[in-house]
Amino acid sequence: MAINVGYFIKESVTSFRRNWVMSLGAVITIYLSLLLVGLSMVTGYLVSEVVKSVEDKVSIQIFLKDGAATADVEALQGWLLRDELVEAVNYVSKEQALERFKEEMAGSPEIIDSMRENPLPASLDVTLNDPRTVQEMVERIKAQELFVQVCDRPDDPEQSLKYGQQIVDRLFAFTRIVRLVGVVFVAMLASVSLIFINNTIRLAIYARRKEIGIMRLVGASNSFIRAPFLLEGVLQSLLGAGIAILTIVAIQAAVLPRLQEALPFLPVDVSTAAMLQLSAVLLGAGILIGLLGSGFALRRYLKV
Amino acid sequence: MITMRKVGKTYGTDKPALHDVDVDIEQGEFVFLVGHSGSGKSTFIRLLQRELLPSRGQIVVAGQDIVKLKNWKVPYLRRNIGCVFQDFKLLPNKTSYENVAFALEVIGRSKHVIRTQVPEVLRLVGLEDKMESYPDELSGGEQQRVSIARAFVNRPPILLADEPTGNLDPATSLGIMSLFNRINKTGTTVLVATHDREMVDSMRKRVIALENGYVVRDQHRGVYGYGD
Ligand SMILES: Nc1ncnc2c1ncn2[C@@H]1O[C@H](COP(=O)(O)OP(=O)(O)O)[C@@H](O)[C@H]1O
Ligand SMILES: [Mg+2]
Repeated sequence: MAINVGYFIKESVTSFRRNWVMSLGAVITIYLSLLLVGLSMVTGYLVSEVVKSVEDKVSIQIFLKDGAATADVEALQGWLLRDELVEAVNYVSKEQALERFKEEMAGSPEIIDSMRENPLPASLDVTLNDPRTVQEMVERIKAQELFVQVCDRPDDPEQSLKYGQQIVDRLFAFTRIVRLVGVVFVAMLASVSLIFINNTIRLAIYARRKEIGIMRLVGASNSFIRAPFLLEGVLQSLLGAGIAILTIVAIQAAVLPRLQEALPFLPVDVSTAAMLQLSAVLLGAGILIGLLGSGFALRRYLKV
Repeated sequence: MITMRKVGKTYGTDKPALHDVDVDIEQGEFVFLVGHSGSGKSTFIRLLQRELLPSRGQIVVAGQDIVKLKNWKVPYLRRNIGCVFQDFKLLPNKTSYENVAFALEVIGRSKHVIRTQVPEVLRLVGLEDKMESYPDELSGGEQQRVSIARAFVNRPPILLADEPTGNLDPATSLGIMSLFNRINKTGTTVLVATHDREMVDSMRKRVIALENGYVVRDQHRGVYGYGD
């Protein structure tokens, strides 16, 4: 079969040059759709890394009402410390809370100046052994009588709890939307690229109808007649996929360091393994689009 | 080598192009298929190539029931059938050598086989000096020889020709017919559809005559026909 590989590649290249406008259109649309797939994968990856890092730091804050009985607070603290899910409990007084807030808001002193009295509640900061148990721990706290007695807002105890799960949930909601929009765009672009491939292959079949007629006449097998066209579609897609991968690598090299500078507290980095996996997915998707596009065209326009 | 039993072919809803054809052609025979334009000769040939399926009846070619033949096996059937046409069907951007080599390349023959068999068959058809010529540099007769070389290079047991001399002058046609005769002498079964009366009369081979889709005569050492 060694001679055939050369023959097929020669045929595909000739055909690409003959129909270069259509072929270029196919390559560009495949490039764009795979680029979008790749970028949304990178975004998703970064978000999940961020989520992981947030989870690492996750803790539950219990806000306490002003003037809660010290004995009750200490009883609650003791109860929390006895729970096997809890690693540590830290009491933060109103004054400490204000100090923290002032530090965070150092950039905008007018907010601090505008505060006449300390609006911040005292709190118990609960650190857990395993961040995945946040929800479970929250439920246990809510069921605890002591908590309702000392919490900042007895009318709605839920509001007196702040925990990372909410941030995590919001991040996930955000990525869901990104993903949905991405899927719609990618589906549109992918169908456009299928149409382009379909057309290039149709033109290629038309340009080679004489050769095809003779091949059928002398008994070339169906797969032999089809192979150059399938290969042509696949080569176009691989070209598009290759450029998409290069673009993503370039974007990653240019943008990520700056993003990291801007967000020093978040882990903005894509591992080599993740990049390799991404490349494999894009190449695979490219091959699939190429095979589908030329496969449709062959079914419709090449009767063997 | 070729058996047709009660074969009929109707295109669409028209009147049938072939009716109830019963024909047996033995291995090594040379047969002329004659008849006016529109009598069904091309339909006959295309049925044997399995370019068409019959509307009814049974066709056996080279031991295979080609009506029941699976689609993917058709190419392998065609490797046993060389075909020659009135319009030569040569690729204009390929030389004689390349045109013949193409037929072997696309059925996966090795370079070695191609390098030995192509010059040999071009010599057989008398074109050893025109191997590097393109079709537009060749006369009609020479182009038809290239197309015969292409049909025969794989040494098929059957050679079908549909009006192979339709575009050629009488002297050139005679040369082409004697080439078919030489190929037939190697044991190949040859079926030539033609309405070239002089040719048929001079060769004195078996003649199958078609008229409006009916086989009206099947005669050994026959002539084109009486009267008309
Ligand atoms: N593809 C086709 N579709 C419809 N009718 C056809 C087709 N090919 C041939 N015919 C009809 O079948 C009949 C036989 O044609 P053909 O086999 O080409 O005869 P010949 O080769 O002897 O001239 C003619 O009446 C012709 O009009
Ligand atoms: Mg005809």
